[in-house]
This record gives sequence, C-alpha cells and structure tokens, in this order.
Amino acid sequence: MEVVDARAVLAPAISLLCAALVFASGEHTFWRRLFSLSAATIKLVIIMSMLPGSLRGVVYVYDLVQFTPGVGLAFRADALGMFFSAVSATLWLFTTVYAIGYMEGEPHRRRFFGFFALCVSTTVGVAFAENLLTMFLFYETLTICTYPLVIHDETPEAMKAGRKYLAYTLTGGAFVLLGSVVTYQLAGTMTLSEPGILSLEAGRTTLAALFVCLIAGFGVKAAIMPLHGWLPTAMVAPTPVSALLHAVAVVKVGAFGILRVIYNVYGVELLRELGFCDYLAVVATVTIIAGSLIAMFQDNFKRRLAFSTISQLSYIVLGASLLTPFGATAAIVHLANQAFAKITMFFVAGSIQRTTGKTNVHEFAGIGYRMPYTMGAFTVAALSFIGVPLFAGFVTKWYLSLGALQAEEWWVVLVMLVSSLLNALYWLPIVYTAFFKAPPGTQLKVRESHWTLLAPTLVCAAYVLILGMTVTVPGMPFSLASAAVTFVFGM
Amino acid sequence: MVVLAPLVGAVLTPIVARRDRRVAPWWALGVMSVTSVAAVALMVRVAQEGPFSYYMSGWVPPIGIEFRFDEVSAFIGVVCLVGWLAVLYSFRYIEWLRGLEKPRIPYYYTLLLLNLAGIIGISITGDLFNLFVFLEIVSLSGYALVAVSGERIADMAAFKYLLIGAVSSLLVLLGIGLVYALTGSLNMADVSARLADAPARPLAVAIGAFTVGFMVKAAIFPLHIWLPDAHAIAPSPVSAVLSGLVVKVGIIGMLRIYQIVYGSGAVDMNGLNQVLMWLGAISIVMGAFFAVFQDDIKMMLAYSTISNIGYIVMGLGLASSFGVIGASIHVFNHALIKATLFFGAGALIFRTGKRTLSELAGVGRSMPLTAAAMSIGAISIVGIPPTAGFLCKWYIALGAVQAEQPFFAFALVFGALFIFIYYIRMVNAFYFRPPVDPEILAVKEAPASMLVPILVLAALCLIMGVLGRLPLTFIEPAVTRLLSTAGGG
Repeated sequence: MEVVDARAVLAPAISLLCAALVFASGEHTFWRRLFSLSAATIKLVIIMSMLPGSLRGVVYVYDLVQFTPGVGLAFRADALGMFFSAVSATLWLFTTVYAIGYMEGEPHRRRFFGFFALCVSTTVGVAFAENLLTMFLFYETLTICTYPLVIHDETPEAMKAGRKYLAYTLTGGAFVLLGSVVTYQLAGTMTLSEPGILSLEAGRTTLAALFVCLIAGFGVKAAIMPLHGWLPTAMVAPTPVSALLHAVAVVKVGAFGILRVIYNVYGVELLRELGFCDYLAVVATVTIIAGSLIAMFQDNFKRRLAFSTISQLSYIVLGASLLTPFGATAAIVHLANQAFAKITMFFVAGSIQRTTGKTNVHEFAGIGYRMPYTMGAFTVAALSFIGVPLFAGFVTKWYLSLGALQAEEWWVVLVMLVSSLLNALYWLPIVYTAFFKAPPGTQLKVRESHWTLLAPTLVCAAYVLILGMTVTVPGMPFSLASAAVTFVFGM
Repeated sequence: MVVLAPLVGAVLTPIVARRDRRVAPWWALGVMSVTSVAAVALMVRVAQEGPFSYYMSGWVPPIGIEFRFDEVSAFIGVVCLVGWLAVLYSFRYIEWLRGLEKPRIPYYYTLLLLNLAGIIGISITGDLFNLFVFLEIVSLSGYALVAVSGERIADMAAFKYLLIGAVSSLLVLLGIGLVYALTGSLNMADVSARLADAPARPLAVAIGAFTVGFMVKAAIFPLHIWLPDAHAIAPSPVSAVLSGLVVKVGIIGMLRIYQIVYGSGAVDMNGLNQVLMWLGAISIVMGAFFAVFQDDIKMMLAYSTISNIGYIVMGLGLASSFGVIGASIHVFNHALIKATLFFGAGALIFRTGKRTLSELAGVGRSMPLTAAAMSIGAISIVGIPPTAGFLCKWYIALGAVQAEQPFFAFALVFGALFIFIYYIRMVNAFYFRPPVDPEILAVKEAPASMLVPILVLAALCLIMGVLGRLPLTFIEPAVTRLLSTAGGG
C-alpha cells in the first residue's frame, strides 16, 4: 500500500534546514548546539512516526520535482529504506551529542557542524530515494559534503587523505552515473520500487558490464577490496566524523546501494539465472578475511578500526550475494549491527584520545582502570564483532550461515568461523591489555571522559545488547528487516 | 525589436554620455532592461504559440529580411540576463581598470552593448547573410573588448583573436557564398527547401566551411588556441560574456546549419557527426588537461570553457534526442555557470589584486560570499547534482547510450572527473589552505554591484539544477522537430 506523505521528504529536509541555520548562526555556540540537537531529535521523531506504518507494510511516497517523465526527484520510504534511515537518524543524535563534547575548543566548528548535518541529510536521502537518479544525486552530494569534514584539520596529511578520498569516491560516483544511464536505456525506468527492473533480453554481456559498473561504483564506498584504499587514510578526520561517516553514513550508503542494485535493479530471480553473485561472494569473502588479517597488524587504534570496518562491511555484501531470504536478512540486519558496534568503538577511540592522548594499541595498558565504563562499552562491541550469542553480531552470523546453507554454499559457514576467530584475535588482546596489564606508573584513579563523550558510548553499547537479544520482539528493527526481505523475495 | 534596442542604444551611448560620463553605465543598464523585457515577451510567445517570424519592413521572404524566433532563439533569455548583470558588474570594475582612461569608459559600454546586440541578432535571424553581419559585429566588438583591459599582453591576445577570428569569418562567408551560388537564396527556410536538388559535392564543401568557421568561434580543440589568452586577459565582465555567450555563437550557427541541412535532407550528416563527437571528446580531455597546469585563475576558467564546449559539441554530434537536448541545455547552463565563475574571479582580483591560485589562498575567509558562489559554480560545472551542470551531463550521457556509443558516455563522465581535479584546487585554495599573504585576510567582500550578479547567478546554478524542466519546455519541441526532419529526409 502506498501513501503520499510529505514526511518522506521532511526527513532529509530537516537536516538540510539545520545545516542552513548552522551556517547562518555564525560563531554562536549556543544556537549551533540548539539547532543541531533539535534537528537530530525532530528527524528521529519523524522517522519513528513512520515506523508503525512501515511495519504494517505501508510505503510512504512523495514526488518532489519531475525532470521529464520517469526522471525526477522522488522519495519512497519502503521497509529497507526505513531500516537504514532509522539507523542513521538514531546514530546522528548520539553522534551530535558526542561531537559537541569532542569538538569543544576546536577551530571551524561552524563548518564542521554545518557539513555534518548535510551529510546526514544526504544519507537519509539515499535511503528514501525512489529511483537511481535521486539516489545518485544524494550519493554524490554526500561525497562533496564529507570532503570538508575529512580535511577538517587542514594538515598536509589531512589534505592528502582528502584528495585520495575524493579520487576514489568520485570515480565510484562516475561509475554509478554510467550505470544509471545504461539502466535507464535498458529498462526505460530507474525506479527502485520493483523487485528487479531488468530482464534477460538485454543480453548477458551488457548485463555483466552493467553489474560491474554499478557494484564497483557503490563498492568504492562500501570499501570492497581492492577499492578500499581511501578508508584507512581518511581516518585522519576528527573521531566523530570517522564514527558517523565511516561507520554509518558513507560506507553504509555504499552497502545500501549494493543491496538496492541486487534486490531492486536486477532482482533475485534474474541474478540467480545470471550467476554474477558467485563472483561477488568470492570478492566479499576475500575482503572479509584479508581485512581482518591486515587489522591484526595495525598498532594505531583507528587504523585497526578502519580495517575491521572493511572486513565487516563485506558481511553485508556476502549476505546479499547469497540471494537467499536468510542471507538477505543477515545483510540488512548487519547494516544496524555493524553500525552500532562500530560506532561504539569509534566513540571509545575518541574518548581515549581526548582524555589520555593515546592513539596506539600498545599504549593502552591499564587503561581499563582509568576508564572502566568506556572500556566496558568497548568490550561489549568487541564481543559483538566476534559473534558471541546475545550480542548483535551473533544475529548476523547466525542468519548468514543459515542463508549459506539455504544456498547450499557450505564454505560460507567456514568463512564465518574463520572470521570470528580472527576478530577474537585482534579485539580480545586490547581488552586484555586494558584490564589486566598493569598501567605504567601508579595512578589507578578512575578518571572517565566528559559525560557528553561517555553517555553516547554507553547508550550505543546498550543498543548492541538490545539488538542482540530482542530479535523476536515485534516492533524492533529485526521485524522491519524481515518485512524488507518479504518484499524482495515476493513471499 | 530586441536587436534594435541594444544596437541603437550602443551607438547612442557616447552621445548620451558626452556631458557626464557617469551616465553611460546607467544608460547601458536601461538599454539592457528594455531589451530584456522585449526578450521575455518574445519567449513567452514562443512558449505559447511555437515559432513565429517577423519580416523587416513587411517584405516577405525570400526577398525581405526575416527574423525568425523559434526555440533556439530562446538563448537570448540567457543573453539578456548575463548581459544585464555584466553591465551592472562593470560599474565598479571598469572604473578600477588601469588600462582604460576614464573619458573613454562610455565607449566600453558601446562595445559591450554592440556585442550583446550581435549575439541576440545571431540567435534570431532567419537569414544567412544577416547571420554573417551579426557574427562580424560580435567578433569585432569582441576583439576590441579584449584589448580594453590594458594588461601587458592584452594587445597580443586581441591580435591573435582577431587574426584567427577573421579567418573563421571568411570561412563562414565562403560557406554562405557557396550556398547562395547553389540555391540563389539566403533565407534559411528558403535555402532549406531549395537545397534538396543541389549537387552534393559543393554543398559538402559549404558545410565543411561552415563547420570549421563556427568551430573556431566555438573554440573546439584544435581550433582553440586563441581562446585562453583572450578570455583570461579581457576584463572580467567581458570574460564572462565572451566565455558564456560569444563562444555559443558558433554553436548556434552550427545548429542553424543543421536545421537547414536536415530540413532539406540533401546530405548525409553522419560523417560530420562522427567528427564532432570525437572532437568533443578530445576537447573535454584536452581542455581539462591544460587547465590542470594553470595557476592563473582566469586562465584555468578559460581552459575549462574549452572542455565545456566539448560537451556541447559532443552532444550535437551524437545526434540522438537526449544528446541534442543535453547539448542545448548546456548552452544555457554553461552561460550561467561560467558567468558566475568569471564574475567571482573578477571580484577576487578586484579586491586582492592577485590572480593566481597560490596567492589567493585563504581568500574564502575574507570574501565568504564570493568564494561560496564560486564553489557552487565549480560544483556545478563538474556536474555534481543537484546543480545545473548535472542535467546536461546526465542528458548527454543518456544520449551517448541511446546512440549506442557507450564509449562517449564513458569519456564524458570521466572527463568530468578530470575537470574536478582543478576545481578542487580552487576550492582548496579558497578555504583549506593557509594564506600565503596575510594581507588577504584583511580584504573586504566585493561591492554590492559586483556581489549581486555573482550571487544571482550562483543561485540560478542551483535552481536550474532542481527546476531542470524549465529550459526543456523550449528545447524539447525544437529538438524533436530537428531530429524528426532528419529521420524523414
């Protein structure tokens, strides 16, 4: 059932308005905080108010502007889009609180918060995009809006990272544009509201080229190897940026794009026949394993997080490329699971850096004495990545394995096991060092970070637990993911 | 008539301003306002009723002079807008220019108005010889306007422009002569009707002469050498007019030739289309390639014009409906975007006296509005949605796929990336680089008469991106008609 509802536009628009107000408010800290926080809250409320409808199967649509028939800016909040936007909006609120604390006293805060809001606006825009053109529009805008955030420090290193970031992501954008154009030519439409718009008539070669084009285009942001080069370098950005953008907005937009391509552009039926997804699954597997292996040897905490992100994102790609209902469930749910766990870790990294100035893992000895809550949150996230039951990561792993068995690809289960092992290998030593190694010197006093940093960290860690334990509770994110899967597979 | 107003106005400028030269800018502004009103009236009529003609002193063609107003002529809307803003912009800029003695300022406005009148004339004439006359008006006033700036190499740049421009004009004249010899008529519609039984070979020569002539005016790649110096050296309002409008004259000329030839169905244009496609693609890449190495901001913008003309020519050459639509939109949008950028660059030079990117570092802090407008222009010209530049990129890419030439879509999309490399340098210099010269932080924002044109155009860059349908109402019927005649013949 489709309902025309302005809320589908309002959700992205509210952050846009917020950005405008932040830019206009000049250097007034109070107004800037007020705008940022209230916009984040309002946005969350708007999206949550659509949630009950979405769970009943209502799809909110809104056409904004038409270029020509079939090409226009249109929004459509279906279950998959709702899921992604709910995750982004929730995390935006937390990250805003965190960023206010973190950026205290930094220069260029107006620019920072302005573009921050713009990024979230575009992320939700991608989530609600009704067609490939709208999606591309927001996808590119996101690239541009994140650039000032990546190079926030304006150091030569940051500038270099920014250049690399733009080179990768804009090239990706170009591929997406090319793919959209070809799709339009082949299908005569670009809508993302059908379970597949292409057909075999287009010919195998064309479809293969198009598939490579679109997947590579979105894959840049999803950091599929070998397109991941920008992500570790972009870690020079301030931590809230790394957190929101490199755990949620940018990378998830890429992953979300891949889901759209597989489920809404090609469609499961067609892809099964074509068999392209087998190759994609192999690439994803390589990324999962290689990402983890590289992460093990990183001493810089944020770099380790970056490679872990690369590895984790490919869970989503792998789940989607299995083309089975359980695989799809795992892919969609992992959008949220990875986001909450990873953002917790980034918050921890930022808190440690701000409070103690430490950025390398080997310096973390005894830090658990000093910041017990922060490191407790870290432990929760780490256990989630390893996939211990009751934690969010387990849900993904479970459904991904089920999906693999559905597809009769038993080796994926093996990949899951190896990956869990690797995750344990590089996360648990940090927990061990933090809690069980004696700190240098004798100061054992608890000195936690400021509450604006601590509170979001703890809340996100709690979310990880909640997501892991409430799978069967109706009304929780999981049921939304199931709704999306039902639509895609026509069940 | 829209042509007569600026033409007469131009001639009258020195007389009006004889007593007090300060009247000249206001007079020019008034003239442009009258022209704009007339232009808008014409555009509304063409949108409602379709093309119509006006016969000079009542003589019916093929004998009389015909002014034909169709969708292509809607270009004058942009001409009037940019022209009006350029005049406004000149108020302060020209006063400041060292090379121009104060008493001679009214002549500058004369030249500017003449130039604009010529462009308008070309857009609406229905007669080949008139086309040539207006082309010469545009070119001659253009040469003089380049020389006005008084920069060190201005004379040289203007001379180079003059030489190459003269050759191209001769070629166009040759083409017109050949057509007259073949058909005995100069009226476009009439020529088109009579061409059908003309011998093919001389006609091909004529088309070739037209093409080369117009392509020089449009500065497509191997014929571009006059452009960078001329556009970079000219005073900034003139650069905006030259880059945004004057090079389009070549494109309009090409479109007219296409209309004539398609209408007659005398010659197969496929070979020419192939050539145009390739030239367009090469222009995009080469323009970007040269621009990357420029430190002078206006030089960079000038090379970027070559790339953008490449888009347009490629779109034309693709000869698929989306391709031609994209090319036509870009004729409009590029005028807006490039004018934004040249006006902005002029404002920076006006306030800081510096024109290289490395010296301008940090200027975004002291002139935030200008820098923001230029950044919008930069994003727009690269074709990042939702700005005006995206639409044409989108349509031309669609056109390439439609014409089953995916390679050109590829060239287009990645050419745009190349272009982004040097625009990002500009944005970096504005905002993210520490200033080389601390004085740059002390300069003031541009004066209102310069800032208003910049901001209006930057806003339009955004609005045209979102309201992309607007120019389409003019362009779509024209393109459909053009291509349907091609199919029919």
